[in-house]
Amino acid sequence: MKGYLTFLKKELIEYAKTYKLLIMLIVFSVFGITNPLVAKLTPQILRSFMTDDIVINWPEPAACDAWEQFFKNATQMGLIVMVILFSGVLSSELSRGTLINLLTKGLSRTSVILSKYTCMVLVWTVSIALCFGLTFGYTAYLFPEDDVSNLLFSVFCLWLFGLFLLAALMISAALTRTGYGCMLMTGVIVVICMLVNIIPAAHGYNPVSLAADNMGLITNSTEVSSLYSAIFISFLLSLLFVSLSVRIFRKKQL
Amino acid sequence: MGILEVNQLYKRFGSHEVLRGLDMDIPEHSIFGFVGQNGAGKTTTMKIILGLLKPDSGTVTVCGEKVAYGETKTNRSIGFLPDVPEFYGYMTAREYLKLCGEITGLAKTGIKSKSEELLELVGLKDEKKKISGFSRGMKQRLGIAQALLNEPKLLICDEPTSALDPIGRKEILDILSAAKGKTTIVFSTHILSDVERICDRIAVLHDGKLALCGTLSEIKERRRHNGFVIEFDSERTACLFENAEELKHPSVSLSRNENTVTVLLTDRSIDGLFLLRVLSQKCIVPLKFTVVEPTLESLFMEAIR
Repeated sequence: MKGYLTFLKKELIEYAKTYKLLIMLIVFSVFGITNPLVAKLTPQILRSFMTDDIVINWPEPAACDAWEQFFKNATQMGLIVMVILFSGVLSSELSRGTLINLLTKGLSRTSVILSKYTCMVLVWTVSIALCFGLTFGYTAYLFPEDDVSNLLFSVFCLWLFGLFLLAALMISAALTRTGYGCMLMTGVIVVICMLVNIIPAAHGYNPVSLAADNMGLITNSTEVSSLYSAIFISFLLSLLFVSLSVRIFRKKQL
Repeated sequence: MGILEVNQLYKRFGSHEVLRGLDMDIPEHSIFGFVGQNGAGKTTTMKIILGLLKPDSGTVTVCGEKVAYGETKTNRSIGFLPDVPEFYGYMTAREYLKLCGEITGLAKTGIKSKSEELLELVGLKDEKKKISGFSRGMKQRLGIAQALLNEPKLLICDEPTSALDPIGRKEILDILSAAKGKTTIVFSTHILSDVERICDRIAVLHDGKLALCGTLSEIKERRRHNGFVIEFDSERTACLFENAEELKHPSVSLSRNENTVTVLLTDRSIDGLFLLRVLSQKCIVPLKFTVVEPTLESLFMEAIR
């Protein structure tokens, strides 16, 4: 336990001092600010390109457009940035040999995996919370009358998908030797999840649904209860991935 | 019972068998020189001792406790200095030692006083720079400091001097000598003069086994009586001795340089007395008759032949 906390502290300091935390916070706050803005301005920008003879009726932008931006940016760009940033989570320490020193000091390998995962989850949680807070405040300011439903639940789903993705990243890192290998394998896991989604029956159980159905939740076209199984499966898979990572890493020859 | 015991260790990487039945026993409070060619398996052996690699078969015992692969329990009594130690570049030496101390489970006040003491010992006391700005020698010295932090009973150094300039090497060897009283040191290298300077015991690893093992003086004693340098008053007498019938023997090899003859005897049954008898038979009084001290290099070459 002491090793876990000490190493967690070291991980947090490392993210702060190597600017990874800063990059995540900047990327996600930029998204947070631009989401409502893009929603508000897109029709106006497009209108300015139109000549007078073509008249298209643009629907007035609403709060749910801002949230559409939020779920699009955070899921696509944000998660990709996160995976790239965290792909070296184990390989960089192993190839440079910095971890060997601490392992020979009696740090357990279980602590290494668990504290690394905890730290990534913390950074992801802070980033998505920041992005959400900024979008929320700015949306309330730009579209004061609008109201959306299931917002918190929808964000929770996205957050949980982040946890699942980080667990997939962790097991990839434990299995592969390089950062690129880790990135590739995480990508493969996500692609497999997407392929599984082709089967309509699997949709309700697929972790990917947590990052895909958010707009449906907000516009009330998707039932909250339809995602319960996916939440359960994601949670279970994350747990499985992390505990497998521990087992694999304990057996890994360094 | 030794502080470190290695029993019948086997390890192969693919088709390449690195260790084939390595046995080693290291008594307490010795400086143990672990010598071998590049790729002989020195680092592999050390990594197995540290539980970082899994042996195919065989056991390792540290302080009476068996080493289990993937676990780090036995590492509490070991300090390890890797060949090229790497640290977190964004930390200072003090911060790094603090991290190590916390992981080992030392008390806060203990870490502080011990860090100061060790930084003093390795000469990094006034260093405020981050580790990323350290030279290789400084990293090596910090490596020794972190290895000694938990007051280990066994200090394992993997080629601590191979990448350093002569001054850096001398400093590292001095630090290791200073640590000798407090701990047992196993120290791998292929620089034989380093071994000669500080080690009291030596083991030569060759072909996955120990080819030679014992205290330095013991080994030298064992091989002492086989080399002689005889100096004569003139080249003529030297030739006379060199061409003596008695010396035409397969286990005697002679080489002459002006009026000096070097004799190497490979057969244990003939020794210096035999040469003296030949001299007296020929009625030659040499100017000098010296026994050659075997060098570590010659011992090493012999062991790995």
